[in-house]
Amino acid sequence: MEKEGGKNLKVLMLGWELPPFFAGGVGVVCYHLSRALCEQGLDITYVMPFGPTMARSDYMKVMVTDHLFPKMRFRLKEVDSLLGAYLTPEDYDEEFRKYLMSLSPKERAKALYGPNVFQEAYLFARKVRLIAMQEDFDIIHAHDHWTFPAAIAAKEATGKPLVVHVHITEFDKTGGASVNQRVYDMEREGMYAADLVIVVSNFIKQRLIDNYGVPEWKIRVVHNAAEPMDKSIFHDASKIKETDKIVLFIGRITLQKGPDYFVEAAKKVLEKDPNVKFIMAGTGDMLPRIIERVAELGIADRFIFPGFVNREEVAKLNKIADVFVMPSVSEPFGIVPLEAMWQETPAIISRQSGVSEVLNHVLKVDFWDISDIASKILALLHYRSLHDQIKHHGSLEVRTLTWEGPAKKCIEVYNELINKGM
Amino acid sequence: MVSVCFYFQVHQPFRLRKYSVFDIGNNSEYFDEYKNKEVIKKVAKKCYLPTNKLLLKLIRKHKGKFNVSFSLSGVVLEQFEMYAPEVLHSFKELARTGFLNETYYHSLSFLFDKEEFKEQVMLHKQKIKDLFGQEAKVFRNTELIYNNELANFVQGLGYKIILAEGADHILGWRSPNFIYIPKTAENMRLMLKNYKLSDDIAFRFSNKGWIEYPLTVDKYAQWISRANGNGYVVNLFMDYETFGEHQWEDTGIFEFLEHLPKEILKHPDNNFVTVSEAADRYDPVAELDIHHFMSWADIERDLSAWLGNSLQNAAANELYRIGRLVKEAGNPKLLEKWRKLTTSDHFYYMCIKWFSDGDVHKYFNPYDTPYEGFIAFMNVLNDIVIRVRDIKKQKKAVAKQKQEAYTHQADTSSFAHSFISEHPSENLLDIDFTKK
Repeated sequence: MEKEGGKNLKVLMLGWELPPFFAGGVGVVCYHLSRALCEQGLDITYVMPFGPTMARSDYMKVMVTDHLFPKMRFRLKEVDSLLGAYLTPEDYDEEFRKYLMSLSPKERAKALYGPNVFQEAYLFARKVRLIAMQEDFDIIHAHDHWTFPAAIAAKEATGKPLVVHVHITEFDKTGGASVNQRVYDMEREGMYAADLVIVVSNFIKQRLIDNYGVPEWKIRVVHNAAEPMDKSIFHDASKIKETDKIVLFIGRITLQKGPDYFVEAAKKVLEKDPNVKFIMAGTGDMLPRIIERVAELGIADRFIFPGFVNREEVAKLNKIADVFVMPSVSEPFGIVPLEAMWQETPAIISRQSGVSEVLNHVLKVDFWDISDIASKILALLHYRSLHDQIKHHGSLEVRTLTWEGPAKKCIEVYNELINKGM
Repeated sequence: MVSVCFYFQVHQPFRLRKYSVFDIGNNSEYFDEYKNKEVIKKVAKKCYLPTNKLLLKLIRKHKGKFNVSFSLSGVVLEQFEMYAPEVLHSFKELARTGFLNETYYHSLSFLFDKEEFKEQVMLHKQKIKDLFGQEAKVFRNTELIYNNELANFVQGLGYKIILAEGADHILGWRSPNFIYIPKTAENMRLMLKNYKLSDDIAFRFSNKGWIEYPLTVDKYAQWISRANGNGYVVNLFMDYETFGEHQWEDTGIFEFLEHLPKEILKHPDNNFVTVSEAADRYDPVAELDIHHFMSWADIERDLSAWLGNSLQNAAANELYRIGRLVKEAGNPKLLEKWRKLTTSDHFYYMCIKWFSDGDVHKYFNPYDTPYEGFIAFMNVLNDIVIRVRDIKKQKKAVAKQKQEAYTHQADTSSFAHSFISEHPSENLLDIDFTKK
């Protein structure tokens, strides 16, 4: 990437997680996007919170020895912090309590971390400000809201243009029912301070216009791509498959992901075809309610709840499933169906998702239309030619969605700002 | 001397509802009445009524020097009768034009079931005769699908002229502007679409990226006159919906049509003919040997728009397999519903070529994806199988009663001799839908 003056474009990237520590899609997106940007010749300094939570998962060590990033264009800056991905204010309180408990009473008096997640975000910002003043870069690119105060601090300290990248908003996480005002304020502050805002879909673009008052001219849509996966993975499910077909749900069991619609649709499927097993992988606050509902409907023997699954298990489940379903109520993008398509499993996805904007070879449903979801599950399980056709074209389609595309679009956004002389 | 031969295709399918798996066995309303009515009303207003009015005016004005030909599918005529009788009336006013025959249901039946094909052609012949008082000598198969075998078969049905696409791959150096003889039907005449000049109007007229844009009548008339010396008749075959629906009124398509006859007739050697007038007037120049099926659709000009992927093939094979069961069941209402499913559009909706090849298919597709089209269609077929079984059960019960009354009488129920497997094929759902 040549820019004026012949130097490489340098990006200060602010994120909060990277694989293999796996909490959700955003870390995966940051990882692949950063890597693709490096491959395009950009230099990236990736700054992320680094706290006890992650240290416990042996996270950073793995990253540092990761040789996937070409020519050392990627440098990792760890900032000691308790911030983590998908952290709710309540989760933070719990982490902070654990942290305090781990300290002796004497140590507690000079605790390293802020007493709540908001203060912690501002502590993180202070540290990032110092890094920003030492580092050489052309542009700041910050991912989702906990890094926004830090991004603003970096911008104020250096005068460099700021791009914030919105993967999800408080409205999507809560279904709009219980929006946390302080989270909302932090999100909006970042969007307003940014010179341009990247969003992962038109779906979320509309959200920013409607719920955050961000002007349309400021928003650029950069759809995510698919993570290349190991197709050779094998799992023996022949015992289950002797009698049953498998329908799969993977995701956090939270309101946003529509697990309740999955269960109701399953009930309708089983009324017509009892030889189906439903696997719901993931955990979340709705899990107890979902298990209760499954029992109430008298279909508990048709359900498997494996709990939290790691990357390899995700691949295995996708491999053995006959149909994958993502009934999300509100999905800014949604990379999980792409993983199913990599393993040649046909996907049924909610129209209320960003990923439905880029996929053709899937079946699309409205999340609330359980009858349509059930009808399409049955069609995929029973119409051989339909299953084969979607499986074939879907697996080809997902392979065309490489990260090179999004990376190039991000570079266009950077250049837009740099050429504007910002 | 150049004759211009316009033939317009008029057709609208009975579109299916989004018929779900849960409708199977519970709901025998397959067609989306609301949507079909809405489409007929919309296209009537934008295209059929204004274009008919204009053509009638032009025919009267040019006193016999301007004429056109139409083919109206049986299913569009039925929908006019139900939803827009004023359109039917205005076509009747155009009765001096030439009306062609085709399959009543605008179907691909020739490819799957020749008996059914013949029955559909006869149904259409009767319908045209009843409505317009014409006995057509000209046959056009659905989407101009054509080969030697078809020409021969249609000759056997008494037709004198047949239409086809003037596709490059069969014509080679030859011109579509002559009359030909099908290799396998020496008494027939074959007329070929001049696709370049036809598509200039049908597809390119409003394309601002086209080097010839805007298309004026004098420019177009010059192109027509150029055929002089290289043929007798320029066959302009196109969907009637070109006027006002595919090319909207604001593109100037109606002004173009209005002024075209006058401009072409300025040249004293030029005239307009109907399809049968053209074949009467000019002698054939050569025999054409067309073994493989061709059509007027897409760039490929083959069958791939309807039978190009495994979904389409599975659906079509299942449809015609079930057709035999339906006929055995002998219920006219069910047969009629089944026949509406033979309309080629249902298969066109399942085409996945358009994901890469532009949006022509998508524009006409009532479903979000071709997969949804397949699901609705297959669900309906599943329901038909259930209806057939019900009818069969009833008949058996009746037959049994009779048998009890006349114990020595042989069982003459047609099902006793059925040669079709009653086992569901892999394309049908192996589910008991009667279970509530």
